Amino acid sequence: MSIVYLRMKKSVELPKYQEVTLKNIAHISIDSSYKEELDNTTIYHITKKDKNIVVIDSFLIIDYLNKKFPELELQVIGPAQCIIRIHEKKKPLSFLLVVIVWLILFIGTAMTIMNFHYDVSMQEVQQKLHFLLTGQENEFPLWIQVPYSIGLGIGMLLFFNHWFSKKFNEEPSPLEIEINNYQQNLDDYLIQNENMLDDERNNR
Amino acid sequence: MKICWTMKEIIVNFFQALIGFSGGIAVGAGFVAFLTVLGVIPRMVQLTKRKKLVKVYGACVLIASIFGTFISFANISWDQPTIMLIVWGLLHGIFNGMLAAALTEVLNVFPVLSKRIGMDDYLLFLLMAFVFGKIAGSLFQWLYFVK
Repeated sequence: MSIVYLRMKKSVELPKYQEVTLKNIAHISIDSSYKEELDNTTIYHITKKDKNIVVIDSFLIIDYLNKKFPELELQVIGPAQCIIRIHEKKKPLSFLLVVIVWLILFIGTAMTIMNFHYDVSMQEVQQKLHFLLTGQENEFPLWIQVPYSIGLGIGMLLFFNHWFSKKFNEEPSPLEIEINNYQQNLDDYLIQNENMLDDERNNR
Repeated sequence: MKICWTMKEIIVNFFQALIGFSGGIAVGAGFVAFLTVLGVIPRMVQLTKRKKLVKVYGACVLIASIFGTFISFANISWDQPTIMLIVWGLLHGIFNGMLAAALTEVLNVFPVLSKRIGMDDYLLFLLMAFVFGKIAGSLFQWLYFVK
């Protein structure tokens, strides 16, 4: 009896309406000639009903393979589920939409920083600071305020570790981590709520 | 300063000191919690790649808070040249920029933009909207809006 090591892929993208073979959703390791046969075993058919996400639990695969190859022993390592995203042809995003979003973010950001400055009475603090440093009163301490504004941008770039596509170093930026967290949360939700194992249709 | 305090003055002064001290502890704890939640200091450690410097940065925040408290209450003034103003303003801006970038309002917009609206390819382009928006808003306020 040989042992099959099965490692589910965490998330895969597949085109519409196709047969999902084991190869598509898992890596397998086996010491005999079963490999090819296993790789090409059909696990699932993507149909129209599936909309765009299917979660396949490793338990279903074990259940199925045990019946089909009773002589093999299966060991699952790694993730317990695989999320299949069925991708339709992506509509190209209109440039106008991107520009509109850009403008919303731009105006919104500009307004939030102005409101923030009022909130903390930045003008008065900087007037006082000007007096403290130079000994002269100045209602508009631009020598502090203009470098401050430029520094604001530099600080954000430092925090995000990005200047357009150029990265300052190899480490992931907080932005990438945040997007990754969001993706993980989505995946967790899907595994919990879209799992075919819990689907009534399959519990016959 | 008087040498002899009456009993009443001692009690009043004691309560003033107690109120000031308690307020200071609450504000200080809150301030550090705020900085910690926003993660600016860990980010600085990450950027400079020196884990050992955490204590140095912590001490820096502590000393700076006391220094800031001192200059906001003391009525002093120095005679510094304009370059000092520029340096001060720039450093102030960089720190505030990092604070603003760390606020979740900014960080949480991006996953939604990238995953929901599918603007994955334009992410950095959109990030620049934040950067230039902050600079433009700030300059607009100081150069025109307050006058």
